[in-house]
Amino acid sequence: MCVDDELLSTYLDGELDEPWKTQVSEHLQYCLACRLRLGQLKALHERLQSVALTTEEMAQSKDRVLAFFEETKFPTADQKRSFWRRKIEMKVAPAILTAAAFVIVVIGSFVFFSPNTPQGQEILPGVVAPIDSEHIRQVTDVSKPNLGMFSLEQIIQHLDSLGYSVKIEMKAVTPIE
Amino acid sequence: MEVQSNDERSFRLVYEEVFPILMRVVYHVTGNVDLSEEICQEAFIRFFDKQMSFPSLNDAKYWLIRVSKNLAINHVKRRSREMSMVEKLKKAPSPHANTTDGEKVLIEKETRKLVQEAIEELPEKFRMVIVLKEYSDMDYKQIAQVLNISESNVKVRVYRARKMLESILSQE
Repeated sequence: MCVDDELLSTYLDGELDEPWKTQVSEHLQYCLACRLRLGQLKALHERLQSVALTTEEMAQSKDRVLAFFEETKFPTADQKRSFWRRKIEMKVAPAILTAAAFVIVVIGSFVFFSPNTPQGQEILPGVVAPIDSEHIRQVTDVSKPNLGMFSLEQIIQHLDSLGYSVKIEMKAVTPIE
Repeated sequence: MEVQSNDERSFRLVYEEVFPILMRVVYHVTGNVDLSEEICQEAFIRFFDKQMSFPSLNDAKYWLIRVSKNLAINHVKRRSREMSMVEKLKKAPSPHANTTDGEKVLIEKETRKLVQEAIEELPEKFRMVIVLKEYSDMDYKQIAQVLNISESNVKVRVYRARKMLESILSQE
């Protein structure tokens, strides 16, 4: 009895398990009809393989698609470097601020601590002011007045002069019956 | 080896191994190189963007084949609705345009066209199985996993597809 056609197809693909695989091999050795049929299936397989897209034929597609990913999805070496550059750039701003503050402090020290020296006049002629009695006044003179500086009588007199009628009540004091 | 789909190193490994298989499979479903390139690119974009993790390279391969196969079949269905028979006859499936040795190329072109048309005539469930068997380097077990059918079903479909192809090609 000849081998089933489907079994031959499976045998061709190398997917037939034992013991059928050995049995089919032995059968093929003496059965010409089955050998011819297997030959036909093999020819079809080879015909299909002969039209398969080759590596050379798809080379351009492979490069193009990979280039797409390299351009759009993967970070490039330049982008990686620019990350560090960004970090450095971010650190430059505080550095400039610190330098500016330092310069202001140095100039300020010239202005306030050695204004009358010839060098001070040379460096900042228009800004440096001489320190003398005209430019100095006591801080207490300019302090703002507050109510604590006046007595109750003075406050009442002042309000009275402005035309206010003032009535004074003492808290926590009960009048004697 | 675990594969992280959005990791550049993993991606390149998978791409190198799987792209040729995808192109062959998709080409023999659609019959058009440019379209196959677009479909493969789309499948790999989905693969990358979904940021998935696969236990092995083979699992990533099965996923990519499944996605690209679905994209290809959807496209073919859409095209068959849109395309007139005249346009279908005009289409040139071979990418051999610039090679030398004209006569040989012409024969190859014709053979490819005949085989490709025969494959396209197969009902979808037979077409996919025979394309995967012949062009993806996968065995019955792996094909069963990709198509989510049993191994014995793959065996039967491969055989029936061969019978159909023999019948179609013998009429040419």
